[in-house]
Amino acid sequence: MFGLFKKKKEEKSVILKSPVVGRCFDIAEIPDEVFSSKMLGNGIGFESTEGVLYAPVDGEILQVFPTKHAVILKSKEGIEILLHIGIDTVNMKGEGFEAFVEKAQQVKAGDKLVAFNNDLIKAKAKSNLSVLVITDNEIIEAVEFNLGTVDKNNEPIIIKLKK
Amino acid sequence: MMEKKAIVKSESGIHARPALAVVKEASKFKSEVLIVKGGNEYNAKSIVAIMCMAAVKNDEIIIKTNGDDEEAAAVAMVKLIEEGLE
Repeated sequence: MFGLFKKKKEEKSVILKSPVVGRCFDIAEIPDEVFSSKMLGNGIGFESTEGVLYAPVDGEILQVFPTKHAVILKSKEGIEILLHIGIDTVNMKGEGFEAFVEKAQQVKAGDKLVAFNNDLIKAKAKSNLSVLVITDNEIIEAVEFNLGTVDKNNEPIIIKLKK
Repeated sequence: MMEKKAIVKSESGIHARPALAVVKEASKFKSEVLIVKGGNEYNAKSIVAIMCMAAVKNDEIIIKTNGDDEEAAAVAMVKLIEEGLE
């Protein structure tokens, strides 16, 4: 060992911008235990006032579901994020959803991913409340949440990476 | 190594809820469990992999298992995908 005092290595963080204009809330409030139980991973619930989903980070689109209600992306640091618009929205078979990105596309934080009809979702699906899940990853040390009313500039999630 | 074919029967394909069921079932086994769809292999113990697979109804997939309990794993996975998903 080189001495008693270890130099503190710079802490690396991944900052997630808000995926919507609207509000972000505790994932435990999502009316679906697939998400609220955090079995898929930790994350946040969110609700859009304008019906647009934005990329929370710079990264690559891993998949856009054929029904366009879910997008999986991987940040440039390797964090895999699942974005799921509404609950039981898969049953809408894409009606009311428009995707602006596709698999393998590179995106920047703030890029438009999907546009969706909130009213249609409220009418036809279980809920328009949506989820952002950070799937479990061994490079993650801790996750911090800043919940509440948001616009595209807010940073609702800060992921601290292991040194 | 065991390989078994399966057909996705659930109406909405393998979306979030069934994907979680697939991962939970695959994770019960010691064997490596892979699902082959469209020539690509997906790790059945990874939720991201199964969500990226984005299987839809009537997709033909192949369950590939490798390990001590590979037969039990393959049988269980086929049963789940063909009968056990909403």
